[in-house]
Amino acid sequence: MPFRLLKFALSKEHPEPRMFQSRDRLKSSYDAVIIGGGGHGLAAAYYLSRDYDMSNIAVIEKGYIGSGNTGRNTTIIRSNYLTPEGVKFYDESVRLWQDLSQDFDLNLFYSTRGHFTLAHTDSALRTMRWRAEVNKHFGIDSEVVSPDDIQSACPPMNLACGGHAPVLGALYHAPGSIARHDAVAWGYGRGADQRGVEIHQQTEVLGITVQSGRVTGVDTNRGHVSTPKVLCAVAGFTPRILDMVGLRSPLYIHPLQALVSEPMKPWLDPIIVSGSLHVYVSQTARGELVMGASLDPYELHSTRSTFDFAEGLAAHMLELFPFLSHVKIVRQWAGLADMTPDFAPIMGKTPIEGFYLDSGWGTWGFKATPVAGKTMAHTVACDRNHDLIQEFSLSRFKDYQLVGEKGAASVGH
Amino acid sequence: MKLITCPINGTRPVSEFVYGGELRLISDPQALDDQTWAEQVFYRNGAPGIKKEWWCHVPSNTWFIAERNTATDETLNTYLYGEEDSR
Amino acid sequence: MTGFRVSPICDAMRLAQRATSEKMAKPSSEESLIATEREINQMRFAQGNSSGHSTTLGITDLSFLTRFGVKGAAAAAWLHAQNLPIPDAPNRWLPLRGGGLIARLGFNEFLIEDSINSSIAPQLIELSQHPPAKVYPVLRQDAAIALGGSLILDLLAQTCSLHFRALNLSECPVVLTTMVGVNVTIIPGEIYRIWCDGTYGVYLWQTLLNIIEEMQGGAVEFEQLLPL
Repeated sequence: MPFRLLKFALSKEHPEPRMFQSRDRLKSSYDAVIIGGGGHGLAAAYYLSRDYDMSNIAVIEKGYIGSGNTGRNTTIIRSNYLTPEGVKFYDESVRLWQDLSQDFDLNLFYSTRGHFTLAHTDSALRTMRWRAEVNKHFGIDSEVVSPDDIQSACPPMNLACGGHAPVLGALYHAPGSIARHDAVAWGYGRGADQRGVEIHQQTEVLGITVQSGRVTGVDTNRGHVSTPKVLCAVAGFTPRILDMVGLRSPLYIHPLQALVSEPMKPWLDPIIVSGSLHVYVSQTARGELVMGASLDPYELHSTRSTFDFAEGLAAHMLELFPFLSHVKIVRQWAGLADMTPDFAPIMGKTPIEGFYLDSGWGTWGFKATPVAGKTMAHTVACDRNHDLIQEFSLSRFKDYQLVGEKGAASVGH
Repeated sequence: MKLITCPINGTRPVSEFVYGGELRLISDPQALDDQTWAEQVFYRNGAPGIKKEWWCHVPSNTWFIAERNTATDETLNTYLYGEEDSR
Repeated sequence: MTGFRVSPICDAMRLAQRATSEKMAKPSSEESLIATEREINQMRFAQGNSSGHSTTLGITDLSFLTRFGVKGAAAAAWLHAQNLPIPDAPNRWLPLRGGGLIARLGFNEFLIEDSINSSIAPQLIELSQHPPAKVYPVLRQDAAIALGGSLILDLLAQTCSLHFRALNLSECPVVLTTMVGVNVTIIPGEIYRIWCDGTYGVYLWQTLLNIIEEMQGGAVEFEQLLPL
């Protein structure tokens, strides 16, 4: 490795190819256009080109690759959800995650840590048991553990929480993991690029042309392209894209904030989540604590940070880990979460032919990146909803068939 | 600190308020079919813009309407429900 | 009314007392207590006796004062019929003849509190047993606190986000705001009166007392901060 680096230092030109090519202009037509160059969009492009032999595809991104929620989440991967639909779906995702570094030939720093969801009340503990039983039924490693088990997995934790909300137990999910999130976008992007997919950054969608109920093309700030298929994977921008095609949805956008501490020696192995205290925390390979709390309490289409958030999060973190009182916060940011009323995604076909949605990923999208890409690739290629996403279609609201996923993160139940 | 002006209690930090969602006029449920009713119940105007919203000043439990730009988080006007014209 | 009630703040005082006597490694006898328990209006409450603190910053429990709440579209007219003065706008208060106060908390909601010598609230509670239409009695189980002393605005600056110095006290304002995260009703003046939901009483008291003690103040006997 050092010799390889030395070679770079001596060379006048950068000898290593970029992760993906930059194209000068858009073609006049594609077999499919994917709006949104985040993890989900790039994963769909990757699986379309790899598994369905579709490579005449453009991924159109308004900013840069991974600039949205892919690079703004807290990188937690787990499958201990509550509904059978959710559990099956996320479990497939965890399986895909585990092979992804091999698949890409790129180190994603995928690190299995174990995931504790703390219960501070009897009712929370009851929900944990329910979740554990649903999980076990589907063969997922998930169990309710005692305070002693938590303490031995995380000795610095103050289980008494200052006497206000003592920890009574936890749902333990051994496969819970973290990964380096921007590498996921790059890995999928590079893989898709190698198979002929075009990635166009700094390209904004201005309109979508629909003729007699069928998608015919996309207007961008770099010109019009015609295409029979459009996949919309734009998270917090979904309502704006839906307005272009005249579709309505239950999506509402709230910011979700997160922050990281200065780096420390490794002391926190597992991922710790507390619904009652509204915190989740893990320690990265770099030693920083990545922390999140709950959704901002009102609609906003802006990724600003607030002091209220940092203050509230710090107060709750100190209940669990009082010794962090002198640790500094070094970065704070926000992403736009596209929330649904039942905390499940909205995926698949829509009433407009050739227009496919991958949205409603609210606070739970990162962990689903591989499976969302895979199932959406199937849906776009075959024009038929993949079995795993049947329950997640936009029509479920009009059919009164909501999913009710109460195992979702960062939302009160 | 983000500030909002309650029509009764004056300008206060946003931490004293809760958001009650966009002001929506619901049609008579008896007059609608199930599909239209589902739209009314579930569907939202999710794109950014200047919206009329319900907000509540919690210490006094004062519900009022705020006209807010949901792209920039600027509150343009606040008034009690039904008193828009009197301002 | 038979039996007695306990002030929502009493537990905070008892806990503080236990902690102090443990720290001093003394047996907890009546003589070593920093606070004494008293009973007024069938309510048991504890109070500090750090005499002299009221000039810098003193806090005391006034939950034992009798009070009455009422709301409804006809509440103002009904109170007027009981010969009470009615503040002309929300968030204003007026003193009552014979002691006590009436605070208007909204267009249609009122709080009436007695002084130590008056007894209007129990009469109103009695009268409102069979209220007319659009008059709804409200059960008031507040934790009620009084603050006094020269550093009071510094304490408020730490605990509230409202600029109290900017208020015009001649308008008799009532302020509904949050204090250390708790929804409170405040009447500013020579002495500041604070009411909050009783269940937050212990937390509010402990938090305020911590700050007050840092500022060299303390819990005092209520006689030192007696309201109107």
